[in-house]
Amino acid sequence: MSISILVLGAPFQSEACYSAYRYAKAALETSVKVDRIFFYQSAVNSASALSCTPRDEYNLYSAWQDLKKTYHLDLVVCIAAAARRGIIDESEAKRHDKAAHNMSSDFELSGLGQLIEAIATSGRLITFGE
Amino acid sequence: MTQIKKKLLIVQSKAPFGSSSIQESLDIVLAAGTFDQDISLLIEGDACFQLLKNQQPELINRKNTTKMLQALPIYGVDKVLVCSESASLRKLTPTSHNNIFRFVSKDEINTIYSESDTVIRF
Repeated sequence: MSISILVLGAPFQSEACYSAYRYAKAALETSVKVDRIFFYQSAVNSASALSCTPRDEYNLYSAWQDLKKTYHLDLVVCIAAAARRGIIDESEAKRHDKAAHNMSSDFELSGLGQLIEAIATSGRLITFGE
Repeated sequence: MTQIKKKLLIVQSKAPFGSSSIQESLDIVLAAGTFDQDISLLIEGDACFQLLKNQQPELINRKNTTKMLQALPIYGVDKVLVCSESASLRKLTPTSHNNIFRFVSKDEINTIYSESDTVIRF
């Protein structure tokens, strides 16, 4: 059975992102297929390339990036939720006439249709709330 | 887009206008309707305050999500369920509401949960 994961809570402030990461990693390590991880609400901040974690704390941002590289994960960030929270890639920066962009290239911006597709096609959706 | 249809239940539990919760969960409901999924919306807890008439979120510059709620049937979402117990605890009586809402008991809610393929709580 394949799964998809929906993450809602903000990184650091909520435990949602770290729990989602550990769940995804455990699933992948036991050969469960993870179709997509969808970041919505404040979880979109996980995609910021500018987050700086203190040296004595766990760096969840680079952990997502490592997991992505190891397993070729589909990490999708909701484009509307992200734009509202100042997470934009180069093309969105151009579209909104912004001087800079800050999204990590390990994540992909897309619409809620990607979440609905994941719900429809995966065996199960696991949500990590606020 | 896939042709697979799932029974999706979105549950709103937080008060309107105090956070983005109602607005962002409604966006999922609308997206699911657009992509032709079998979508239901359940309103419980403080989210029941959406049923109050004549709310003026424009005064605090928030989008009027109550209007979006009324428009759901246009998007193919005809099931807007309200937890009777939550509503009556907040003195929101069924007679004062628009008829797009269907009031459901705790037992019916249990059945709705068990019949759904996917549940997302906000």
